[in-house]
Amino acid sequence: MSGFFENYGFLLVTIVQQALLGLSIYFPLMAGQLSLASIGFYSLGGYVAAIMGTHPALAPLREALGFWMFPLEWLGALVLSVILGIAVGYPALRLRGIYLALATVAFVQVVNVAVLNMPIAGGAVGIFGIPQAFESRLDYIWFFGPLFLFALFLVWRIGNMGRGLAFFAVREDELAAGAMGVATTGNKVTAFVLGCALAGVTGAMSAPFLNTWNARQGTFDASVTCLAYVLIGGSRSIWGPLCGAALLVSLPELLRPLKDSRMILNGVVLVAACVYLPQGIMGGLAALRSRLAGRGGAA
Amino acid sequence: MDFAWLLQSLLNGLSIGSVYAVFALGYTLVFSILGIINFAHGAVFTLGAYLTYALAVGHFGINGLLADWTMPVTLPFVPALILGALLSGLAGMAVERLAFKPLRKRGADPLLALVSSLGVALIVVNLIQYLVGAEIYSFPADIFGDLPMAVIFKIGGKPVAVRTIQIILFGASLVMLAGLGWFIGRTRGGKALRATAENADTASLLGISVNRFILGTFFISGLLGGLSGTLIGVSFGVAGPYFGVSYGLKGLAVIVLGGLGSIPGAVLGGLVIGLGEAFLPSDMSSYKEAVAFVLLFAILLIRPQGLLGGRLEQKV
Repeated sequence: MSGFFENYGFLLVTIVQQALLGLSIYFPLMAGQLSLASIGFYSLGGYVAAIMGTHPALAPLREALGFWMFPLEWLGALVLSVILGIAVGYPALRLRGIYLALATVAFVQVVNVAVLNMPIAGGAVGIFGIPQAFESRLDYIWFFGPLFLFALFLVWRIGNMGRGLAFFAVREDELAAGAMGVATTGNKVTAFVLGCALAGVTGAMSAPFLNTWNARQGTFDASVTCLAYVLIGGSRSIWGPLCGAALLVSLPELLRPLKDSRMILNGVVLVAACVYLPQGIMGGLAALRSRLAGRGGAA
Repeated sequence: MDFAWLLQSLLNGLSIGSVYAVFALGYTLVFSILGIINFAHGAVFTLGAYLTYALAVGHFGINGLLADWTMPVTLPFVPALILGALLSGLAGMAVERLAFKPLRKRGADPLLALVSSLGVALIVVNLIQYLVGAEIYSFPADIFGDLPMAVIFKIGGKPVAVRTIQIILFGASLVMLAGLGWFIGRTRGGKALRATAENADTASLLGISVNRFILGTFFISGLLGGLSGTLIGVSFGVAGPYFGVSYGLKGLAVIVLGGLGSIPGAVLGGLVIGLGEAFLPSDMSSYKEAVAFVLLFAILLIRPQGLLGGRLEQKV
């Protein structure tokens, strides 16, 4: 068993880390908003942690705080993400559907070019030697695990209170929801900012986990991968992002013997999942369960 | 801000902007028929550049599985360009068969088509990398034969250079745009295409074979993508299998800026972004890649339907 964790510990933690990014897309999607901005906030959150962890001017603070520097980095990323999330969210959420998705893609691209050109972010090389919180990569589960549980709790809690009903009302029909007195803009911005904040904090936790941080963390491909977690896992189930991340993160590892052609197979899986599992893995499981139940009842 | 600089930037902007327009039209055509953005368009763009390279130079680079392969014949640049574009058109048709038709038949969420087209893009891009290697290589400088590299003239004592490739970019784009305009505006096929774009169900009731027209649209879209891939590849050098990704995104910026689904909008959007990049002061040139997206974000906030897009309809 210990050999298993030695070999696959990094992979397991990565699955939880990526599932968090999937959840950050799930939040705005609860209110019907397709946003790809998460990865931009993830990138910025990582830079906040990387800069706070390595900048020479902050060395006395790091010595004074020790391990508590990490929560301070998360807080920094959280504050930045919330402020920026509100600033981007209010104007951008006037857009709908594919327009919103493209506006958020534009945001991610602008963030990417901006960090590439900021001297403090280390240019194309990025930031190296970020202080480690733990000896082993597997221990980073103590960062990502609680955050994941908290995010799941939040999704579950929102789904069971008035705010959640307002989110779903906006998702199903924004115009009707507005006519019924639901504050559509407020709810959309709340859902959007929740996603931004989660992505920002995940980024701040990931910078030490990955040891280096650079602009490659915030590419368009990464945004789409996150969206794929949700869609392939199932966009109507809170376990969807975890399922999708588990499949898509472990697939390249499982296919490692195939070497260069494994990315091709990754694409094949993406297409096949879209065609044969349009409701995602969780949706497919639910359909299977109701079919089995239906057969049982008939017999 | 002297006149020579203005003229030079204008020339640079028009030539590159016209290619952006041709590339973006590939997105627009598919969007106007299916209401979906084809994310594999950037991969077809890369494929077009590689195919033309192989046809004109005679081999597929020096790495990868096809390293030892040499073409039995090589073509002059212009026939290679045309053949490469036609083959890209076929690749576009394959994209529709793989990523779009199966989903359409099952009536799946249009959002999924976006992901499945990304899956196809992943397949194409990695297949290219597998077959020809990941290294960056460029078209040889003498690809146009005896033509001079550039014409330089002086205005007010300052030099203005027009590169041969710029004239070719602009000319080829103009020919493509005019041809497309003629096809859509003047022919029976174009009329059927417009009818399908307006309402696919009604069009099929009127006896238009919708599936065939969708396939045809993907052919034209792939052709435009492959052609612009070659043109930009010749202009800047083919930069590896991932070369199409950033242009794919820029093309999206172009069509949203101009107005999703609007053909004149795509042309205008391409020119605006090309000119925007060309007029960026040289001390800010590292921000060039952000120009398209800053313009896109700005226009979405001021005029969400884009420069020439129709009014966005509110369902009630």
